[in-house]
Amino acid sequence: MITVNNLQKYFSINQRQQGWFGALRGLIKPTQTVVRAVDDISFTVQRGELVGYLGPNGAGKSTTIKMLTGLLVPSSGELQVNGAVPWREREKYVASIGAVFGQRTTLWWDLPVIESLKLLQHIYRIPEPRFRRNFAEFRELLELEPFLNSPVRSLSLGQRMRADLCAAMLHDPVLLFLDEPTIGLDVVAKQRIRQFIAHINQERSTTVLLTTHDLSDVEKLCKRVMIIDHGRLLFDGALQTLQDRFGGKRELVVDLAEAYPTVVVEGAEVLAHNGLRVTYQFDRKVVSASELIGRVSAQYRIVDLSVREPEIEATVRRIYEERLLDREPATKGGRGSGA
Amino acid sequence: MKNFNQLNPVATMSRRYIQTLRFTLDIYRRLVAIQMRAQVQYRASFLLDVLSVAITMSMFFVSLALVFARFGNLAGWTLGQVAFLWAIVEVSFGLMDMIFSGFDPINFGRRIRQGTLDQLLLRPVNITIQVLGDDFVLRRLGRICEGFIIFALALKLAHIDWTLGKLLYLPCVVIGLVCFFGGLFIVGATITFWTVDSIEAINILTYGGSEMLSYPAHIYPDWLRRTFMYIVPALFLNYYPALYFLNKPDPFGLPTIMPFVAPLIGIGLLGAALIFWRFGLRHYQSTGT
Repeated sequence: MITVNNLQKYFSINQRQQGWFGALRGLIKPTQTVVRAVDDISFTVQRGELVGYLGPNGAGKSTTIKMLTGLLVPSSGELQVNGAVPWREREKYVASIGAVFGQRTTLWWDLPVIESLKLLQHIYRIPEPRFRRNFAEFRELLELEPFLNSPVRSLSLGQRMRADLCAAMLHDPVLLFLDEPTIGLDVVAKQRIRQFIAHINQERSTTVLLTTHDLSDVEKLCKRVMIIDHGRLLFDGALQTLQDRFGGKRELVVDLAEAYPTVVVEGAEVLAHNGLRVTYQFDRKVVSASELIGRVSAQYRIVDLSVREPEIEATVRRIYEERLLDREPATKGGRGSGA
Repeated sequence: MKNFNQLNPVATMSRRYIQTLRFTLDIYRRLVAIQMRAQVQYRASFLLDVLSVAITMSMFFVSLALVFARFGNLAGWTLGQVAFLWAIVEVSFGLMDMIFSGFDPINFGRRIRQGTLDQLLLRPVNITIQVLGDDFVLRRLGRICEGFIIFALALKLAHIDWTLGKLLYLPCVVIGLVCFFGGLFIVGATITFWTVDSIEAINILTYGGSEMLSYPAHIYPDWLRRTFMYIVPALFLNYYPALYFLNKPDPFGLPTIMPFVAPLIGIGLLGAALIFWRFGLRHYQSTGT
């Protein structure tokens, strides 16, 4: 579906210079700095995959998406989507994809939702029976009924996002780009949108590329994640692999039956000790949870316990902050990693 | 029986071309219809808006008429004759502003900054048509009305000897001017691909140009007149045709064909602007913003 080989995108930026003399020199002979927004990225995505694309702000996420949707022409490298080169023959290519950018709407501001959708029917030349079938399905799944006749400008963010998702799927795109589809939404609205994404991916085998800041989106939806930072692909593989390799420390919380002066156990560190409650921190590579529980219960009398997994959010933050994956070429954890 | 079109690649291509054209025009019509419906939604406010623009703009002409009342004529041109020049520019500029508003450098610069051009590029429709269709400003009828009022005045005062040729040529002059100013808008919009903000230089040409074209060219100093003849050939679009309509001799002694090149120059400039626009789009696609 998507093949990307050694994709690069450089931007030349005119550097501003100090003082009016500098400004004058900048006019005559501008000093340019090259920004490598996307720096040698390779990956493939198979039909029907649902891939999470993560990265901090300015990492090169949206530049990649813009190239994949045909808005930007790459500086070098190979890029094929669905057998086409996106930026060549733009009009033909964009008819086969759908895109939702969370911050903006594709719908017409002053038009009732239903009329926007009907206009899109003409723009994408969707035959009437197919339009009716798709619309009936999405209208129910996304619960569009209550605001179908309201103009887009009067919709809430969540309603607008649902209308936009419907708009992006009406022409049966084989590939759907979602950029921050849940940004700014409450838990219920997020849930509904995630269900919809999962549905179209499973029932229609629509390939989905999802960029998001909200890692719970990724956790709930994606088996595969790609992480980009400083224009380079740092990780490409299964979410579980990411968690196993970089998950950091787990925590074991124990409620003791009686107070002990020391609660030291081999292989774990005491993070907190408040009365009867002790929190241990341990590394999955050093000791397993069951082993540790065995050791603790052998030494102390326990009433209750629980194991806390590190959150994916913390994991990914650690990867960015500690640059755990830096200088390492894209880790091949899952299927379909590029050259 | 074999399909004739399958045997003839030229016929197939031209048929496909016509289909695309019909589709594109159909989308344009729908986009414009939406704009119009949204704009006349509050009918009273819309009418008031059109009327007030028509009246305000006419006031400029009234003040000119008062100057005429004192001096009688402007370098040999009567009030009626200047009104003829003025009316054609107003109608044309109003029409252009109504149709080409999407390319108004100020609107287009905002479009680039807010990234809404990307939204249009994601739709499988010709991008130029979408920019035009997304911004059709019906309110410009105010300026067009004003143009018609002044035109009526010109007809009353200037006593034009109408011939069939003149009747047929008049709409061509308007088309030429619409294309000319539309082309300038497109050039100005395209420049914002590089500058992001609209630049003043283009506004001098569009708004300054339309102002300048409202007066007879021989009142200007030579350098200014030459600039607008040979660098930006604006004077051939209005002044020279006016010489023909008003049966006046050419004070600059150019070939007698010159009053009739207006539509050619207008369409030529629009064509060149569209080529520049294509080039700018390619630049935009390779740099983003």
